[in-house]
Amino acid sequence: MNQEFRRRLAPAVLALTLAAPALGHADSAKDLQVAGRALTFLENGPSGAAVLGVVFDPSKPASVAEKNAVMAALGGGYSAGGLTLTGKPVEASAVAGVSGVAALYVTHGVNYAAVGAAAKAKRLVTVASDQACATSGACVMGVSTDPKVDIVVNRSAAAAVGASFKAAFRMMIREV
Amino acid sequence: MKKQILFAGAFAGAALACALPASAQSIDYGSLTQLFGEPVTTSATGSPQRSTEAPVDMTIVSAEDIKRSGATDIPTILSRVAGVDVINWTAGASDVAVRGYDQAYSPRLLVLINGRQVYLDHYGYTAWSTLPVQLDEIRQIEVVRGPNSALFGFNAVGGVVNIITYNPKYDQVTTGTVRAGSQGYVSGDAVATFKLGERVHTRLSAGIERQDEWNNAVIPSNVISTHDPKRWSANLDSIVELAPKTELRLEGSYSDAQQSDVAPTYTVYALHYKLWSAKGTLTSDTKYGLLQGQAYINHAKTTFDYTGVHYDFDNPIVVASVQDLFKVGAAHTFRLGVEFRHNKMNTTPAPGGEVSYTVWAPSAMWNWNVSRRFALTAAARLDHLQLKRTGTFPDPNFPNADNANWDRQQNVPSYNAGAVFKLTDLDTFRAAYARGVQAPTLLEYGGVQSISDFGPPFGEFAITGTPFLRPAIVSNYELSYDRALPQLGAKFGIKGFYQRTKDVKTSNGFFVLNTPPALSELTYANVGVSEMKGFELSASGKVKGGFRWSADYTYTKVETQFPAELLAQTYTPESLSIAFDKTTPKWRGNASLGWSDEHWAVDGYLHYTGKFGMYGGFGLPLTPVDAYATLAARVGYTFDNGVELAVSGQNLGKSHQAQGNALYAPRRVLVSLSKSW
Repeated sequence: MNQEFRRRLAPAVLALTLAAPALGHADSAKDLQVAGRALTFLENGPSGAAVLGVVFDPSKPASVAEKNAVMAALGGGYSAGGLTLTGKPVEASAVAGVSGVAALYVTHGVNYAAVGAAAKAKRLVTVASDQACATSGACVMGVSTDPKVDIVVNRSAAAAVGASFKAAFRMMIREV
Repeated sequence: MKKQILFAGAFAGAALACALPASAQSIDYGSLTQLFGEPVTTSATGSPQRSTEAPVDMTIVSAEDIKRSGATDIPTILSRVAGVDVINWTAGASDVAVRGYDQAYSPRLLVLINGRQVYLDHYGYTAWSTLPVQLDEIRQIEVVRGPNSALFGFNAVGGVVNIITYNPKYDQVTTGTVRAGSQGYVSGDAVATFKLGERVHTRLSAGIERQDEWNNAVIPSNVISTHDPKRWSANLDSIVELAPKTELRLEGSYSDAQQSDVAPTYTVYALHYKLWSAKGTLTSDTKYGLLQGQAYINHAKTTFDYTGVHYDFDNPIVVASVQDLFKVGAAHTFRLGVEFRHNKMNTTPAPGGEVSYTVWAPSAMWNWNVSRRFALTAAARLDHLQLKRTGTFPDPNFPNADNANWDRQQNVPSYNAGAVFKLTDLDTFRAAYARGVQAPTLLEYGGVQSISDFGPPFGEFAITGTPFLRPAIVSNYELSYDRALPQLGAKFGIKGFYQRTKDVKTSNGFFVLNTPPALSELTYANVGVSEMKGFELSASGKVKGGFRWSADYTYTKVETQFPAELLAQTYTPESLSIAFDKTTPKWRGNASLGWSDEHWAVDGYLHYTGKFGMYGGFGLPLTPVDAYATLAARVGYTFDNGVELAVSGQNLGKSHQAQGNALYAPRRVLVSLSKSW
């Protein structure tokens, strides 16, 4: 690689590096939109103004970055159907004591098993942007949006928190 | 055959006894579409599905597509769907078919509004001008290519067009539109959605339209009479929330249309339609699944004078169904149902008789998501049809002049099977098989009856239907591959298909020489086999800056196997109006380009139809219809207050153009003004 090529490449690499967090924000916003809309298909689910707890691990930069992106996307209130969500950061270690939230949004990198167990004890619906959280049985629902929307619901996790989804929704998502 | 019937019967019997048009309208299309980022449909299996995961070949035309089309009627919108053939006969009459086989009063297409059939049962065709729906209230038009009889029953053999309106419970749509243009075109429509108390959601719509009839005939001698098209219709759609998970949807409509049609005699004549309907649908989301009970009545009255004879069709049909849509475990979705229908019409032009049939049709569907990337669907339906006739005959020597000849039953199974394999998140393969049923119409079963004197040496003949006609069976095989190209914001697809129609029904013209004094008859018959094969290429995409584009191209080749013994009797496919190999264009295609921003929307549409032949009428040979291309465009500007002003044009390339062999379609330019609240 000659010096001229590296000189020309450097700005491009810098631009991509700077763009990366922005892309992460965009994906988190899309994941949040899907998660928020999916919550409206819960039987007796939250409606009106509700608080979404955003679970993160302060020791994991990726988790913190996703938490920040989700909080930014929620802003002063994200509306989906008759539901308007605002956000509340919740450290993963504090889920057992959380209050005032209608559901939990679990970011990448947290200890799914521990968070899931704590959420089940409080009968809180958990939505993760990592589908492994749902397929492992820790979370009720996992969502992804790239390249297309994919939603997976863990039936035993849903049953554990007393959550059931509308029939039409169930027929359009993956259940495990 | 017997095994097939037993299989279908057993499958359906296990179904608790349950139904048909499965469009569970409690489904919130808007929210589900927003959630998944793509259209949602129930027209494939009766279960809600994402359009990209449906196990059938389907195109969904969105409300935005409709608005930006600049079209004022549904056939024009459908003509831009890949593989759809539209013959525009007159200003008010068009016939639509999928992948060929289009003809006057095209009987192979099932058209529904929210699951209610709106084709005219007595003749099996759709008079598009009578549809009691305004374009502004349509959420989407779902076009299924190929048979879907296992879900919808009769006529869903060439394809299905399911028009889904906005749901008054979920969609607050209130609009008003007026249009004016060349050929004396004037129209206006209004749609209003409102709540009555906390639990009643209602949408009311009405529209009126008139225009001048096209004034140049391809074959002047074929024009018996014409009428400047004018129509009006009104529709009520109301949802009552009976309980948190139970709702009752009540729909009612009326439409009145006068226009010039082209009958299967391939002549132009004026007629008058009056239609009304009433429908109730009870839906409940229970622990046993989505339960639905539905009943509706359609009543169609059609009157016209033809060569000095007055015809008066009076055709009420009652349809009732129940179904359950439920999921078992994580991967299996089932739909079980049963449908009842009673369909009758008077005999005409010679009165005195009534032909009717009653159908009981159990059906079942099973969808199995084998894995994240592989899904299988199977559906079956058994139509048990009991034919009946009451009343008198116009002459004691009339053919089959004994009502007991109509005491006949038919048991006809239909199937759909499909596999969807997502090789990657971007690549989707589909394989589908379908067996569809095209039942004889009431008219073909004997609704039409008259005596005509053909002069020497023929003398008097009976023109009549026959109770001995069999359903035509359509088998369809299809393979397709779709590839998404997210980096380009585009997708493309390729499909190959083969279709075989057995016991093809003649449109008319089959002579049966009876032994005097019994009158000989001009009637209908099952004749031969028709095969169609072809392929389709399509691509579409969006480009940054507000651009969108699409292109498609469909090739079909139709071959007719005509019985040698009939050829020896001087019959030909042309004389029996089943020369589909000659009346189907080999090529058709579309290209579109559009751009929009916050205020402007600019769109252009190019459509091409290859050459084809059409029956000349009154015994004339096939008339060639040259290949033609149409250009349409629309420019619209939306003001901040929701008012939109648009200019649109159809057939812009030529002042007059033959798009069939009746009247020449003229260039048309329209101005429209609409307001949304």
